[in-house]
Amino acid sequence: MAIAPDKTVLVVGGGISGLTATVETAEAGTKVVLVEKNPYLGGRVAQLYRYFPKLCPPYCGLEINFRRIKQNPAITFYTLAEVDNISGSAGNFSVTIKQKPRYVNEKCTACGECVEACPVERPNEFNFGMDNTKAIYLPHELAFPMRYVIDDSYCKGKECAKCVEACKYGAIDLDMKEKTFEVNVEAIIFATGWNPYDATKMDNLGFGKVRNVITNMMMERLAAPNGPTKGKIVRPSDGKEVQKIAFVQCAGSRDENHLNYCSAICCMASLKQATYIREQNPDAEVTIFYIDLRAPGKYEDFYRKVEADEKIKMIKGKVAKIEEDPSTGDPVVTVEDVANLKKIVESFDMVVLATGMEPQTRRNKLPGNVEYEENGFLKVDQPDGVFATGVATRPLDVNTSNQDATAKAIKCIQTLVGGK
Amino acid sequence: MAEETVLSPDIEFIRELRQAGGETLKKCYQCATCSVVCPMSPEDKPFPRKEMIMGQLGLKDEIMADPDIWYCHNCNDCSKYCPRGARPGDVLGAMRQRFIKEYAIPKFMGSIVTNTKMTLFALAIPLVIFLVVLGLTGHLHIPEGKIVYSHFFPILYVEAIFITLVGLTGLSYLISLNKYWKTLKRVNGTDYKMGFGDAFVETILEFLSHKKFTKCEANADRKNGHLLVFYGFVGLFIVTCWLTFYDYIMGIESPIALSDPMKWLANLSALSLLVGIMIIIANRLKDKGINTKSSSFDWTFVTIILLLTITGILTELIRVAGVRTLAYPMYLIHLMFVFYTIVYFPYSKLAHMGYRALAITHYKMTGKDIK
Repeated sequence: MAIAPDKTVLVVGGGISGLTATVETAEAGTKVVLVEKNPYLGGRVAQLYRYFPKLCPPYCGLEINFRRIKQNPAITFYTLAEVDNISGSAGNFSVTIKQKPRYVNEKCTACGECVEACPVERPNEFNFGMDNTKAIYLPHELAFPMRYVIDDSYCKGKECAKCVEACKYGAIDLDMKEKTFEVNVEAIIFATGWNPYDATKMDNLGFGKVRNVITNMMMERLAAPNGPTKGKIVRPSDGKEVQKIAFVQCAGSRDENHLNYCSAICCMASLKQATYIREQNPDAEVTIFYIDLRAPGKYEDFYRKVEADEKIKMIKGKVAKIEEDPSTGDPVVTVEDVANLKKIVESFDMVVLATGMEPQTRRNKLPGNVEYEENGFLKVDQPDGVFATGVATRPLDVNTSNQDATAKAIKCIQTLVGGK
Repeated sequence: MAEETVLSPDIEFIRELRQAGGETLKKCYQCATCSVVCPMSPEDKPFPRKEMIMGQLGLKDEIMADPDIWYCHNCNDCSKYCPRGARPGDVLGAMRQRFIKEYAIPKFMGSIVTNTKMTLFALAIPLVIFLVVLGLTGHLHIPEGKIVYSHFFPILYVEAIFITLVGLTGLSYLISLNKYWKTLKRVNGTDYKMGFGDAFVETILEFLSHKKFTKCEANADRKNGHLLVFYGFVGLFIVTCWLTFYDYIMGIESPIALSDPMKWLANLSALSLLVGIMIIIANRLKDKGINTKSSSFDWTFVTIILLLTITGILTELIRVAGVRTLAYPMYLIHLMFVFYTIVYFPYSKLAHMGYRALAITHYKMTGKDIK
């Protein structure tokens, strides 16, 4: 039995927290409008190779959610859409949504003929610029909705229109315009998530200058079979297979000059990525440089497993300098090995910066009456009818994000049915 | 199990460090960023990360025997990159202040000069000595005629007071330096790759060029200020020696003529000191404590050098202008700051010169010095 079939909840953000909040709320019996700014749902999780706790590929979890969305007529979702304005109060919000044109309609079968015809390339932000797509592209192999999209900052438009000719289904419409529309909702759940911290801001760690320094999210894309290298972990400068790799923990996190908090996931991410390398290359050597390795709760078991691998070294000391050896292209790291009171200056094939989570709302403030804490995260306590969940509120892993989103769905439903 | 280590924390020492400008000490979480970004830090036993934990634990004996606090040039690259605002640069500054007090002979002199609450008392000592000497010898009045400072305060008295006291404190400084040298040998070892003479000369040449300072990034401007102050003092030292030579050998009495090359050097040195100390002060103000948070010990010292310079210049200008009623008191005040600067040398920030020279010399001898 539906709890509040005539009431609508707006969920902002279609990552793992927003998807969970959407399906949990809708399945309890309310209408849900989900707004996502990317051309696909799934958020940051979709970019991972494998994720905790079971180390499955992200589509294990995402597809179940997509299926729940497709089956549920109470859910309406918009991609390429952002909330432009919010007015009113709990029980009666009026929300303006702006949706960018996709230029591809529902007739698209994802056959890919258009891509063959398209003459223009653009950097692929899904892979952090490590490869290019055409101006008309599928965001990634398992994108939902499974539909192409045109990047109008690269597309030459009607004067080219080669894709329109190539499409047998009449799915491409270069006349599509930005749409603005209003929805009325009783409550709002923000699940606006995070961005990887901009690693170029740490001027001593060389990202952007030393070619073989990458971020942990780039590492996920390198390891993913649908990534720029089809899952082969090679270094950017020359495609050399990575034999010797270093992970630099707390790259920006726990640092008052950058992110003044622990990003909570980077230690586990690096331990996980160490296993990517070791599985792919039995001779590879891994060194993880850390301040404190944090493997909370059950993750301790995984930490013990990784620690037992004798090719994986863990050294206490924060890397504070990375330079490029011009003759080899190797990044050279300098760090104090705290336990042995010695500086280490060592070359690696590649260095991964374990960059932290910066809340989306740190730099892009939301419309409407929303409260932020000091680091730009959304406060847990928001005005009536407004809820915040997932990494929008604090750094979290996927597992905890799902639990949090489910809890916020319940809180939200309580207000819809008159509870407190 | 590893061999047993016994630590003896000194809680009072932690409190002292925090009061002396190291209040951020406890923020450090031992990430070791500082040891890497420090342009002076050696490969083996790098600093200042280890000093931070030693400070947190109150390991006074270890810190008092640590050569690295003097190898530090206070560039503050460490404080700039510190993720926790623990300001290792300031903490090491506080450690050096505490060190000067610890090594001072007699101990009470260290306590008086390093304690900023006692600064006025420290300045009053020479003033009282001067007034008593002048009073007892019947000189406590403004002389008539052309302004000649020795008519007011006979040069012999000045020399008697200064040479005696500088001799005494200088001797105590040598004993302190010797104690520190023994500590260096004990902590750094005596596996020498270079003789003392060569290493010492190399160190002095580096001082003259301020070579190590050029490695500093966060606080690069400080080099110019420090260099000007350094050469200001060198110049004035030469002038002082020369004037003694004039007085006793050549029979030329002060004030010497404005046309004398020694007068040029004196004036140039005073100017160098003035500009240098102004640069240092301007940097600290501009900095607003982002990288360096100057302790009150630091500010007191900088202020005294500034006042020393200004009163010195005024003493000369007022004399040239011929205002007798102002000139003699100004001379007396100037002498008070001169006394503070040279008699208190082993107990004030200036004591860093000897300790740092020895630290770098020993680093060179053991092959630990960074190039």
